[in-house]
Amino acid sequence: MRDAERGLIAHIRDNSASLAAACTACGECYRACPMVPRTPALTTSAPEAVMAGIRDILRDDAGTADAIAFAGACVRSGECTPACPEKLDAAFLMRLASLRVRGTLGDPPRVKTPHDPRWSARVKAFARLTMSEEERTEWL
Amino acid sequence: MAVTPDSSVTFWYGCNMTRHGEIVRLVTHILEAVGVTAAPAGGPGYCCGSTQEANARISAGMAARTVEKFNQAGRDTVVTWCPSCHMNMDDLMAPVTEAAFETQHITQLLAARAERLRPLLTHEVPARILLHAHHGFHGRVPVNTDVPMLLGMIPGLTVRDHPLRVPGHMCSAIAPRPGVLAQAHRDTLAAMEEVGADTLVTVFHSCHREAVALERSRPIRVVNWIHLLAEAMGFAHTDEYKLWRNAEDPRAAVGTDRITNSGDAAFEQLVEPELRRAPTI
Repeated sequence: MRDAERGLIAHIRDNSASLAAACTACGECYRACPMVPRTPALTTSAPEAVMAGIRDILRDDAGTADAIAFAGACVRSGECTPACPEKLDAAFLMRLASLRVRGTLGDPPRVKTPHDPRWSARVKAFARLTMSEEERTEWL
Repeated sequence: MAVTPDSSVTFWYGCNMTRHGEIVRLVTHILEAVGVTAAPAGGPGYCCGSTQEANARISAGMAARTVEKFNQAGRDTVVTWCPSCHMNMDDLMAPVTEAAFETQHITQLLAARAERLRPLLTHEVPARILLHAHHGFHGRVPVNTDVPMLLGMIPGLTVRDHPLRVPGHMCSAIAPRPGVLAQAHRDTLAAMEEVGADTLVTVFHSCHREAVALERSRPIRVVNWIHLLAEAMGFAHTDEYKLWRNAEDPRAAVGTDRITNSGDAAFEQLVEPELRRAPTI
């Protein structure tokens, strides 16, 4: 395993563990999230139960369906961080949970990740239209 | 009058900004005018890893390569544009691969040099603007206050306040969620009407490429904040992406020669479907 890969996986695991240990699952972050009312699967969920499930995900456990849906709904609004009474970086906690349910550590993905398989070719195609050859040589 | 630069930075414009080459160009001109020499860097070769975030093995390699290239460039500051890149650098890249530079968002740099920028904003820009503001990223970098502060220095321009904040850190985050972006656009148009704004100002590229289509059939203007600063400084430019996206025939708007030069098959398969996409509302 390359150093960068090993380092990123350890970084994700270490921060997942420390944030899961500090989180009390009070649910204030869930209540503050603007995506909850915009996500039909979450409208009747209990905040505390969802966040207990998020802690499970961060601890390498399966997590509940509601927790997986909440992690999958995260669009990085960041409203969770100022809402956290424990002063945790709740946005990072949710970012880690979101990465985990997408299978970043090699587990089977539990939510679908929007992915453009032709992203690189598309970015370069637009560059050929909007940048000169000299700019592309220097900037890309 | 030529300005003697006192700082040299890497301008990390991200990947999808290649749709807006004029913004990259304008940012370098604006920075140069306030004493900063900027070397743009972006595209797939400078990926933050977010495009492969579902696979740490791949994203780690991409991210490490980017940090190492910035280290090798030897500049002590990397100025970011994209909020995804900025947050990834802080949260997942620099903590893993040692970075020999500081990261600063473009809005922070220009806000810090606001008094050098102010006398350069000499051209009137008559506009009543509403900022297209998201919840996210502002907690990290105060974009929702810094950008209106900068634009408020432009003669002829008035900033209209509204509490609307769109979920996510930029529109690419909410675009895949059914109905969320369309509702955000409906809310935005309603907010513009409520405060009497005639111009919607985007902060980020992914918001811009979705919002420009709101101009169709509506008496509003959609511009990026950099376009407004450039206009006030007298820097000529054209928002070609907006022209192409709102053209009845994008292929004709781009022009045969440019399509041929950029590769007809690539244009047809990778560019044209996006330019022909229906507006959200």
